[in-house]
Order: sequence, then structure tokens, then C-alpha cells
Amino acid sequence: MNTLAAAGDTWGIPGPLFLKLYLLVAVVAVVGVLVHRRRTAAGPDAVGADQLGPQQVAYLNGGDQLAVWAALGGLRGAGAIDVQPDRRLIAVGPTPSGVTPLDHAIRHAARQPVAARELRRDAGVARALEQLRQGLEQRGLLIDADGVRALRRGRNLLLVLLALGVVRLVSGLVNGRPVGWLLLALAGLGVAFALVARTPRRTRTANVMMRRLRSSNHHLAPDTAPAYATYGPAGAAMGVALFGTVSLYALDPGFAAQAEIQRQALNASSGSGYTGSSGVTCGGGTSSGDSGSSCGGGSSCGGGGGCGGGGCGG
Amino acid sequence: MTRPQGVGIGWRPEIAGFVAELPGLRFVEVVAESLAPDGPLPPGLAALRERDVTVVPHGVRLSLGGAEPVDPARVTHLARVAELVDAPLVSEHIAFVRAGGLEAGHLLPLPRTREAVAAVTANVRRAQQELPVPLALEPIAALFDWPDDELDEADFLTEILDATDTELLLDVANVYANARNRGRDPQALLDRLPLDRIAYVHVAGGAEHGGLYHDTHTDPVPTEVLELLGALCAGRRPPPLLLERDGHYPPADVLRAELDALATAAGHPVVT
Amino acid sequence: MSTNRPVGPTPPPGAAGPVGLAARQAALVAALVAGAPLPAGFATDRVDAARRALLRKRAGEVARHWPLLAAGLGDAWPATFAGWAAGRPTAGSLRDGWDLARALRDRGTLPQLGAEELAAREAAHRYDGRNPPRRRRLPALARSGDAVALQLAGRVRLLRPTRR
Repeated sequence: MNTLAAAGDTWGIPGPLFLKLYLLVAVVAVVGVLVHRRRTAAGPDAVGADQLGPQQVAYLNGGDQLAVWAALGGLRGAGAIDVQPDRRLIAVGPTPSGVTPLDHAIRHAARQPVAARELRRDAGVARALEQLRQGLEQRGLLIDADGVRALRRGRNLLLVLLALGVVRLVSGLVNGRPVGWLLLALAGLGVAFALVARTPRRTRTANVMMRRLRSSNHHLAPDTAPAYATYGPAGAAMGVALFGTVSLYALDPGFAAQAEIQRQALNASSGSGYTGSSGVTCGGGTSSGDSGSSCGGGSSCGGGGGCGGGGCGG
Repeated sequence: MTRPQGVGIGWRPEIAGFVAELPGLRFVEVVAESLAPDGPLPPGLAALRERDVTVVPHGVRLSLGGAEPVDPARVTHLARVAELVDAPLVSEHIAFVRAGGLEAGHLLPLPRTREAVAAVTANVRRAQQELPVPLALEPIAALFDWPDDELDEADFLTEILDATDTELLLDVANVYANARNRGRDPQALLDRLPLDRIAYVHVAGGAEHGGLYHDTHTDPVPTEVLELLGALCAGRRPPPLLLERDGHYPPADVLRAELDALATAAGHPVVT
Repeated sequence: MSTNRPVGPTPPPGAAGPVGLAARQAALVAALVAGAPLPAGFATDRVDAARRALLRKRAGEVARHWPLLAAGLGDAWPATFAGWAAGRPTAGSLRDGWDLARALRDRGTLPQLGAEELAAREAAHRYDGRNPPRRRRLPALARSGDAVALQLAGRVRLLRPTRR
């Protein structure tokens, strides 16, 4: 193997030497970045999921905007906010008990009519959201700004290495040098980059907690038509936090539509195992042998709930 | 496979989160037609089964009182659901819900005739052949009677239960509704029913519309129904009770208070 | 008793009417849900009360399957549903709501929320008005009034929510 620079070597560095150096640097960088990322995104060992309020859960699930929608769900459930014919929100009634700083800020912003989507730009609301975020960072559920920056630096390092390799590859091709091994190294580096291309905001602890919350709050999934009156304002807020604004539409469709809140479903649960659900699916075995009806046609008392004030007789 | 005991509540997906939080709960009922026969159970119901809470499938669409033979597919479904939840018994109504190819969407009363007794008896026997567990029958609340009744309500019920050897699912709200809407004394009607056959007891809310009492399941349980329940339980071992609520669900406190009122009226331990 | 329709001692009381339990039950159900005349001997006011109670109950069940349609109609929902459903036997809550939404659309009185709900349903399912709805396998576009919904691989998106 000729290690001396020959006239035909790209950039005057022989291919094998470049490859060795490149591989060495790449392996060190990838390992370093992955280890750093693993540490930064780990989060604390255990945080009780039941210690989180709906707005914190919403922030973890969908950031500022979802936290505002969750607060709105709670306030609406408590009858503390209304929508005017001009589609703007207005605070009504006395302050409900147990309000959070974000609830308070929203009620304050809505002393004067305000459009729902303008809420998060209100100075007081923005401050409350900032507090919410800091609280989650301190508990190790969200990665703070420094952590995010560090993660991005690691990712950028891999990107630079990748770019260098690509340039070398192109040069090599132009010069008619063999590039097979380099191509292989680049593929490996590309895979590593893909792993870290997206910078997470939630720690792994938070991810585990979200999964647990979703399954323990299955009864709030909008396709089971939750009895929000029974679950109270906190239940309404948690429904929005976990399943999106589709829960606001289930809670109070007239309000949500009038306030022009974008309908969005998060983590929609499928197959609730209950055929009376309000989804359009006609599952289960209830349609067997019905004359001319599907989906439990004309179900009698209680089938999927709701005697609708009529006389059940059962 | 434990028999129903104490105070239970009708499990509905809308209030699954409420039911899941009742610490003393030992027994629920679920609308049989709402479950898929091969599972899986809805998560809330599965969690209750893991806690060994008894689940009784309650059919609402078998139409046992129909003059036509009961649909074998519906019986099979009820049987599969009973096995799925490991039920100690299942229940259905003495009523019909369809005829002549039309769904009534409602539990309709039978004429209290020997012909109707025979029709119910035949259908119950067909169902019993396939059901893995005993069947309890529930008399319904009816807003009207047929013009040619031969038997009174108590005799009609007793004949059917005797002929089929079935247990009684007694709904005290239905007893109250029927007696009141006929201008009779609910207590007198109650006393004539075959109470020794009771498997468990339904309690539900209702409201008055246009001079008639409607068994809505969407309103609070009236004091009169609680009093009738108290009378039923006085001087005998109180039967298991089940609160039926099917809509307009109230705040959790109100629902808990209603369950407590049932427990108090019967002398059962509170489940909340 | 091995037969379900024994010859009972029930005499048809002279009046022309259905004889036998099956026919009499069918006549009663038809009177309750399909607008047929009430067989002789029943208390009209009581059966009317049962018919109204049944319509209230059906309205509640359909609202559960079509929450946006019901919300769009607001206070007018019970009366709108009862007016449409009286004399019309149920085809199941899902199809009842579907048929009602289409009828309102054709009349031009479908509220915007209901139009969105209908468009979303029709993008996801094929429904001919006679047989149970079937899930669409291929991508589909559905329009109801101003609302346009697109379904791709089972996911439905409202492309143009109704301008409110």
C-alpha cells in the first residue's frame, strides 16, 4: 500500500489514509454524540405521573398551544369562559376554585373579548406558559434550552462530517478514484445522523409517563363520549391534554366551533372494545341478524348509553 | 364467578373512569349487546375483572317476549359474552323489542295473557339451552297496557318465572312507575311479586312528563323509589342492588351520593 | 309448552284486527314507529306518550353518534329529529343521523357543523342509504355544502372547513 502522496490522490491525501482518519473521527463523533444524547434525554429515574396537572401534561404533549387549549377545556368545564357571537372569548362568572396561573392568565386576558388563537400571544398568558415550561424543565421532563443547544451541536458535528465525506466522495468520483469504502462509511454515518436528526424536547422519563397517562386515562378518550360533567373540569382539561382539541369538541361542540378552535386528534385510541362508541365504526357482534339494520340499530335502553330523557322502561 | 353482592352500578364507557375509582365496588352490569363476543373487553371493564369485580351481562335486545322464536345468533352472543366476563348469571327483560320486521327501539310490554306467557316461556327455554349460566328476568316499566289482559302483573310474572325456573331481576323503579301510572299503590304491587326469586335489584331515576312517570335512567332516583327500596329490604336479607344510569351523567359527587343512598336504604356497606 | 304460539283463549274481540300474538305485536310496533293506525282497544294518549318518549330516546342516541350535527342544530335538535323521525322506523342511530343529515342538506338547512361531520363521514364511508355504511378503501373526496373532506388511507382531513 503506497502511503506517499501520489499525483492522482484527491486533495493530495491518499484514499486509504483519508479513510482511516475519517473513520476514526466519525466513530469517535458518533459514539460521543449518542452517549451525550442518551444522557441529556434520560430524565430523572422516576417522577410520579399523578403529580402532573392537565396543563403540564398538555405542555409535554403539544407545547404552548395545547396547554392553552387544555386550560380552556378546564375553564369551559367549570363554566368560567364563554364565547360571544363575534367568536371571541370572554371570562364569565367568579374565578373557579383551584385555578392554575395559566387559568388565571387566560381569564385575565379574556376580561376583554379575545380570539382563542390570540390567547398565547397575550403577555400574561405567555408568562404563565413560560413558568409551566420552566417547571417541567426543573423536574427533568423537558430538556432545557442549554440541553437542546448541546444536542443540536452534536447533530451539527455529524452533519459537517457527513458533508466533508460527500465532498471527498464527489472529488474522488471526478478523479476516477475508487470510492467503495468511503461510500460504506458515509452510509453508516448517514444512519447515525438520521438517529439524531430530530432534537427531542421531552426526556425519556416524560415519554414513559405520557404512555402511562394515556392508558390510565383511557376513559377520557373522546370516542367513548366521556361524561365530562362527572369527571369535572380537570377531566375535561386532561382529555384535551392527552387527546387534543377533539376533546373540546366532544365536551362542547358549539363552544369549540364558535370559538374557531382547530379540531385536532392526538393519539386517537382505536378499538375501544365497546361497540356503542360514537365513532363511525360498526364493530362487534351486535349487528348479527338484524333485519335491515347495522350498528346495533335502534338499540334498546342503555345500549351505548343515553335514554335521552325518554322513558327507558328497563 | 362470584354472585352479585352489595351495591353495584351499570358500567357504561361514558363513566368508566368514575366506576374504576369506586373502592368498595364488587359488582357491575354491562349491556350485553355492547360487547364484542370475542373480546377484547373495553379496558375499564377488563380492569374491573382483574379486581375480581363481578360483571353481569344485561341483554336488552333478545326480545324474549316476541311471538317469533328468539334469534339464535343473539342468544349465542349473550352466551359468549357471559363466558367472556366469567359471569355468574345473565339477565334480560320480559318484553319484546321488534315485530313484523320492525325495530321498536324500546322495550315494549306484552299482553298479560296465557298466550304471551307461553311465548315468553318457549323463548326463555330456547335461550336457557344455550346459556352457560342462569338467566334472570326483569319486568319492565310500561306506559300503556294491552286491552285484553287476563292476568295482573304479579300473577303474570309468577307464572313465567315458575314455568321457566328463572330468577327475578326486580326493578323497584319499574314497580313504582307501573303502580303509579295505573293509579295503584306501589307497595301493594311489590308485596304480591315473587320476591323469594330475586337475584338482584335494579334502581334507577325517572321524571314526570305530562302526568306520567317515565323511567328515564337520566334523572335522579326519586325519594319514593328509595322508600320502596327501603321497604323491600326491611325485615329480610337485603338483595344486591344495581344503580342504572344511562345519560345526563351528574357530577361525581352526586353520583356517589346516589350510590350511598342506595346502600343506606338497603343496609349495605357503602362502596364509595 | 313446546310451541311458541299455542292456541290460547285469547278471543279477538269482534273488531277487525290482527289475530294472534305475532300479528298483534307487529301491528303495535307499526303504530308506534311507522305511522300505522293504532289497533283498537289501546289508550291512545298512553301510546302517544310512549311514542314521544321513544322519539326523545332516539334523538339522544342519534346525537351521540352525530354530536356535531346535534350541536349545530342546538335547541332545535329534539324537534328537528322528532319531526323527521316520526313515522320512520329506525335503521340504527348511525344511519338515522346520516339520513337526517342528507335530508337537511338537500333542503339547504344543514348547519355548518353538521355539514363538516357529514363530509367527514362520507369521505371515510360509502353509504347508499339502503345498506349499512362500508369503509372506503380508496382515497376519497366528499363535499357537503361548503365543507370538503379528504380521506387518504383511512385518515380524514377537512380540506375546507365551512367558512363561519
